[in-house]
Amino acid sequence: MGEVILEMKNIIKDFPGVRALDEVNFEARSGELLALVGENGAGKSTLMKVLSGVWPYPTYEGDIHIRGELKQFRNTKDAEASRVAIIYQELNLIPELTVAENIFLDRQFTNAFGVVNWSKLYSETQKLLDELNITDFKPTDKVIELTVGKQQMVEIAKALSKNAEILVFDEPTSALTDKEVEALFEIIRKLKQQGVCMSYISHKMEELQQIADRMIVLRDGKTIGEVTPMSEITLDQIISRMVGRDIKDMFPKKEFQQGEKVLEVKHFEVDHPVLAGEKQVKDASFYAAKGEILGIAGLMGSGRTELVTGIFGAFPKDARGEVYLEGKKLDSKSPQEAIHHGIGLVTEDRKAMGLVLGQSILQNMTISSLETVANRWGVINKAQERQIADGYVEQLNIKTPGLSVAIDTLSGGNQQKVIVAKWLNTMPKVLILDEPTRGIDVGAKVEIYNLLNKLVEDGVTVIMISSELPEVMGMSDRILVMCEGEIAAELTREEATKELIMEYATGSKRKGV
Amino acid sequence: MSNEVKSATAPGVLQNENIQMALKFLKENGTLVALLILVIFFSFADEAFFTARNLTNLARQTTIVGIIAVGMTLVILINGIDLSVGSIVGLSAITVTLLMQAGVNIWLAVLLTILLTGVVIGLWNGFWVAHYNIPPFIITLGMMTIARGLALTLSGGGSVPVTNPTFSKIGGNFIPPGISSVIIIAALALFFFALFRGIQQKKKYEIEVNKQEIISSSVIAVLGLGLSLYVFTAYRGIPYPVAIFVVIAFIGIFVLENTKFGRRVYAMGGNEEAARLSGINVYRMKLSIYAVITALSALAGILLASRLNGASPNLGTMFELDAISAVIIGGTSFAGGIGTISGTVIGAFIIGILNNGMSLLGVPTFYQLMIKGFIIIAAVWFDVLSKKKKA
Repeated sequence: MGEVILEMKNIIKDFPGVRALDEVNFEARSGELLALVGENGAGKSTLMKVLSGVWPYPTYEGDIHIRGELKQFRNTKDAEASRVAIIYQELNLIPELTVAENIFLDRQFTNAFGVVNWSKLYSETQKLLDELNITDFKPTDKVIELTVGKQQMVEIAKALSKNAEILVFDEPTSALTDKEVEALFEIIRKLKQQGVCMSYISHKMEELQQIADRMIVLRDGKTIGEVTPMSEITLDQIISRMVGRDIKDMFPKKEFQQGEKVLEVKHFEVDHPVLAGEKQVKDASFYAAKGEILGIAGLMGSGRTELVTGIFGAFPKDARGEVYLEGKKLDSKSPQEAIHHGIGLVTEDRKAMGLVLGQSILQNMTISSLETVANRWGVINKAQERQIADGYVEQLNIKTPGLSVAIDTLSGGNQQKVIVAKWLNTMPKVLILDEPTRGIDVGAKVEIYNLLNKLVEDGVTVIMISSELPEVMGMSDRILVMCEGEIAAELTREEATKELIMEYATGSKRKGV
Repeated sequence: MSNEVKSATAPGVLQNENIQMALKFLKENGTLVALLILVIFFSFADEAFFTARNLTNLARQTTIVGIIAVGMTLVILINGIDLSVGSIVGLSAITVTLLMQAGVNIWLAVLLTILLTGVVIGLWNGFWVAHYNIPPFIITLGMMTIARGLALTLSGGGSVPVTNPTFSKIGGNFIPPGISSVIIIAALALFFFALFRGIQQKKKYEIEVNKQEIISSSVIAVLGLGLSLYVFTAYRGIPYPVAIFVVIAFIGIFVLENTKFGRRVYAMGGNEEAARLSGINVYRMKLSIYAVITALSALAGILLASRLNGASPNLGTMFELDAISAVIIGGTSFAGGIGTISGTVIGAFIIGILNNGMSLLGVPTFYQLMIKGFIIIAAVWFDVLSKKKKA
């Protein structure tokens, strides 16, 4: 095991009204990957911001030691100079520039007149890529043409080009395909051999078991327990450290009497919005019945989101096919028609497509169902509106100081509950949830699962898209697996296994073969 | 022991709370405070300022841009902009006067003008914005030139006189002081009635009543209506355009605050994609909002032609800038989703007072332009600053 590179001692960071970090202690060593685990809001990102100088000294208390030397970063440049680099969830690349230009953005090779030496720029970049065994793209490729996974590798190369010795990954795999994740891990393993000290923030336990050497749990701004080798701790133990209690039943699935078909989709197709002739969804037919949760699994880009968004009427020009609701044919040319018929959609990207950030919880909650609180002249009865909203806050256990506060101030899980409340108030017959638990901490996930049970019990047909196989297997009655725009398989709860789903999702196994 | 500590800290905390409450009030009503400071300043600087006659004129001058600014608030709230409003004022003034010259009945002429130069052009602007996603800046910039050119073409470049005395009354007449005072007192009564009903409704649904809010809004209403009572009874009464402006502003405030339409406007401004996926017909909303602002601009043009007893094709030049300034000074965010029409009304009056007061003091027009410019920048700076503090 390597020497201790980074030590953080008694770190305290206060925000108005909250203590985000409360005497955090840990140390990280060279050549290892230390997993930083915790629920959303536990303080992981704040801790990393302290480390990288985003929250400068002395806005926090406590000491940061690197190789035994006390460091007090006044800004991010200071941290960089001490060879600390962070790869954020949101990538910081300039899309229109090349890989090489991005990597050496602030340190272009120039001559005495400030003219860029392009050949040196490209050759230095190539050297860097060779070191990392990256062959998927060239220094001259534009970043905009790379997939998210490859862009992340550009970020890593950029960090290493600055001789980073301490590398922090903040949920790096949330937007990567499995293949890209594997490539990332390959690079991480290589970096371990080179003695880089890495810290890795993630929700995905399976990944951590593959890649992490040791782990530390943060809860409510405190470190819980000691840094523990991955091999000496079980998943259940990690989760109980995270939430402070044992979660015996991660997936509280309840089964109900199956009813008649509520939603039936036949020969549904969605054209690619840009590429002519390409289809994102090809000839999809399926149904969802009363009393069930229909899961949709598949890799990113397999057409899951496009299928449900199309059914919801959001692509009037690109989508076609037959949609029946309770036997009646719908022809939804817009989301508002779909909502009128009784279909709701909790979108995948909460911030960009679900919430109206900057506006109140109340406004977000009733925006899809204003007719329930307005008279026939369109005048809203505000008192009645508040009463309805209060009801949902109580029913869904939404933790908020009030209805008038901006939705931005809530945690991810509570934001998601507000969105669910928004759809509940439209009285849906079918509620589609696209990745409903992404970026939500474990405790809130379980609450969402309980909520899904409650919905089914109340007679709502639920369709849930998920990339997390345990979730889709744990909560669904039936599972559709999508692959390259087609529904590759329909599996019952009993026959579904991880291996089977992955075989269909990756296209290595096909329907009827 | 604990009692001692309590009594020792209580006064300090209380004081702190009072200061914080005052700061909060300042932040939320910064533009109103700025307006008051301007009024006090000009009152002391020139005794001709705080007279019923001058304030009546000031109100009448402000209303034209004010009416446009109400519409501009809606457009900026949904992340748009309309640069064509000034040219629409000129076009509508020419159109309505030409129609009357051709012998069309005045009310028909007014109606046709609002429809043709207001609603139709607004729908055209909205269509390009909604259907092809063309930036509204570009579309309305084009329409700004087109409408001005059309006004020049129709009028042959010259002015069109008004001969109809009834038409002149729309922009020039007053509601007599007696009736004015009755209206203002009725408005005050209506305000307290609405306040009372609001409280009752909140109690019915067991919602906490914010006393501080009630007190501050009551004070503002009493002061504002008291001032108007003085101004409009001591001189010739309420000018017709002012009455029209007040009605439009109140409809605007009510619609934004209390209707489905208003909620949708805010949602669209905050996140258009989320609004669309929440079932809002974004297309139709855009069409109607762009139609509303040009219709209001056409109305402003008619009022202006009536007050001036004639139209010139160059009427309304630069009005778009005054209207946008009023909206921005009034605290509406240029990024959309945040802002109120009451703020815009205050903003319009700040610009009106600056114009009026600086002219009274004999500040040369060239300097006036620069001062106005700096005030707009200061308003936006204040907006950015207060947002930073929140984050």
